[in-house]
Amino acid sequence: MNSPESSSSRNFMTTRTVRVLTEAAGLLRAPQRVIPLFSKLASDALRMTFEHRHLYSYAAATIRTADALRSVVGWILSAQRAGGGIAAYYSFLTGYSESYPEVTGYIIPTLYDFGRLTGDEAARDAAERATDWLLSLQMPSGAFPGGLHGHDSGAQPSVFNTGQILQGLVRAFVETHTETRNAEILERAVAAGDWLAAIQQADGSWTGQAAYQGVAHTYYSMVAWALAQLAAESRDPRHAAAADRNNDWVLAHVQPSGWIDGINLRGHPAYLHFIAYAIQGTLECGILRRRDDAIQAAAKAAWVLLRKFETHKRLLGTYEPGFSGGQNFSCLTGNAQMSCVWLRLFEVTGDLRYLNAALKMNEMLKQLLPVRGRRGVVGGVAGSYPIWGAYQRMRFISWGCKFLADALMLEQRLTRQFETKFETKSEASECAS
Amino acid sequence: MRVVILCSSPYSETGCAVTARLAQLGYVPVGALTLASWDRSTLLRKLGQWGLHDSLHYAVAKLVPGKSTLQKQMLNPYLERALRHGDGIFRGLREVARAYGFPVVTCGDQNSPRAVAQLKQWSPDLAIFTGGNILRDEVLKVPRLGILNSHLALLPEIRGMSSPEWSLLCGVPLGITIHFMDSGIDTGPIVLRREFARAADCDALADLRNRMIAEGIELIAEAVAGLDLGTITAIPQADREKDCQFFVMHEQLKAVATRRLKEGRLKNDRLKNDRLKNDRLNPVTGACDGSGGHDG
Repeated sequence: MNSPESSSSRNFMTTRTVRVLTEAAGLLRAPQRVIPLFSKLASDALRMTFEHRHLYSYAAATIRTADALRSVVGWILSAQRAGGGIAAYYSFLTGYSESYPEVTGYIIPTLYDFGRLTGDEAARDAAERATDWLLSLQMPSGAFPGGLHGHDSGAQPSVFNTGQILQGLVRAFVETHTETRNAEILERAVAAGDWLAAIQQADGSWTGQAAYQGVAHTYYSMVAWALAQLAAESRDPRHAAAADRNNDWVLAHVQPSGWIDGINLRGHPAYLHFIAYAIQGTLECGILRRRDDAIQAAAKAAWVLLRKFETHKRLLGTYEPGFSGGQNFSCLTGNAQMSCVWLRLFEVTGDLRYLNAALKMNEMLKQLLPVRGRRGVVGGVAGSYPIWGAYQRMRFISWGCKFLADALMLEQRLTRQFETKFETKSEASECAS
Repeated sequence: MRVVILCSSPYSETGCAVTARLAQLGYVPVGALTLASWDRSTLLRKLGQWGLHDSLHYAVAKLVPGKSTLQKQMLNPYLERALRHGDGIFRGLREVARAYGFPVVTCGDQNSPRAVAQLKQWSPDLAIFTGGNILRDEVLKVPRLGILNSHLALLPEIRGMSSPEWSLLCGVPLGITIHFMDSGIDTGPIVLRREFARAADCDALADLRNRMIAEGIELIAEAVAGLDLGTITAIPQADREKDCQFFVMHEQLKAVATRRLKEGRLKNDRLKNDRLKNDRLNPVTGACDGSGGHDG
């Protein structure tokens, strides 16, 4: 009789083989993608050879933050499919993927933020179309399906996707001013929140069929954040209580080193993306629920990564428990998420070291943005640097663009606030003298 | 007192100035241990720190002095007092060594077994760190009293890198601390701690840093003499565990720090003008009559 481990490992190998074959076939179907692929491979190889970061340095990009932001949001807009969903990725081998409900959901706040910042109507329109598409996918239970749209797994409700989509619905509700539409969005968001609260375990975690690999994960703190956002709008104590319960459960996994245990991904290492999810969800939920314990826990983990980044001028793509080591590539999405976390911690604590680290991280990420190339490449955030790194190999991913756009918008807002505050302070002290 | 100098390069201006200043005061080192000047990591670090233009300027000034003026041969003009030697200046550690008669030993890593063995052979009472590697325990425990470092900020408030800039941005008074090094970053016992009073004379961060380095050298000399005579005792830092470490500052924040520095200079000019006005009003006492400037 086969053990569950060997069966799971066989499934993993099969999935992997199928993926490799599909991607190879994709390149045969569209050989024109060979040139951009080789050009990216060559440019990353060159950069890796000549780049020698050290304690005293950081990469300074020539591209302005506003231009980088426009370029990244441009990538997202071009990845939106006719139905309103946003593709998960653009692969050098297989082109654009199908729409990804989870990412489409949490890209909505990014699009609205960009629309507000720049007055870009296209971004607002895209957010509205994305909302409509998501509403069409909602299950009668209130849940949303997992995986890519149109795949088999799509039939299964997913806790994480529902949580991430909930973020988008709550924001769409805040931004929508037509009464009937507004009421419908809130009703759907509440249904999603009710479903999440109903299937939550007594300890605050989510396990079972609707959880990825059937087990509880601490990076589901992102779901708790979405519930906290919903609670702020629905004023329903059940949503707030569910967010708090998960927050408590996550905090019970915080190690003395700052490491948040329980990422629990079988068959994958702990990519920085998931570590950053756990930190970001805990922090944002803590801010919304006014929980100092959660903010402190997130700050502790974020500070460990900040020190690593400042000392080595980069973060590893994966980390072992306790941040003890990991794989030698950059998970760019995780980097952008950490930039968001550091910027928010600067906003909350006023500690300029967080702002300093985020500015440097954004410089590094801006430097790696393709400024020219075909649709799907230009303005895209690669899964890994170098592009052949283990996380989302050979792909530009929509959630990477989302987090970088968030980081760049936060940078703009907070640096402006800081400089204004500094000027006001100077003027005030001049008056006093 | 047997003193050893630890240096980041034989051409390090600061290392050279510290050594020369101590020798002028009678503390001729028993030896100097320096990293190689053409070491790849040193070159990359300097390029990162100074940029290509300043690095080239420095290399030319040190290696091809030609007929350029003394000022042009120095990256930091405030080190002239320490570096001046006859009609010229010391351009490298080996020139100081020739003038005062002590050995200079080059190594690839100050923590290497060879470097530790050399240090032990000199059996120093005290070492002065002017740059190089992050020192490991093996090296730290060789000198009888310890290894001194000049840190360009008040400790324990601001530890780590870009310390004058962070002092400006965080509203901590500018200052210099001479401290013994330990396994932490700027966490060792404090020997001297002094506020830097001349920030208002500075018009740029580089100028501020240069003046602070020069003042730091004078403080090191004072600390060495004090430790030798037994008039100074090191005091452990109260907040050793507190995380006050800062890192290299991003240019965008440096621009704000520069504005703060200029702001202080402006205020100081205004203060001076007001004082001048008051002095004219009351030439006997020279005191402010209440309408004069205060720092706010």
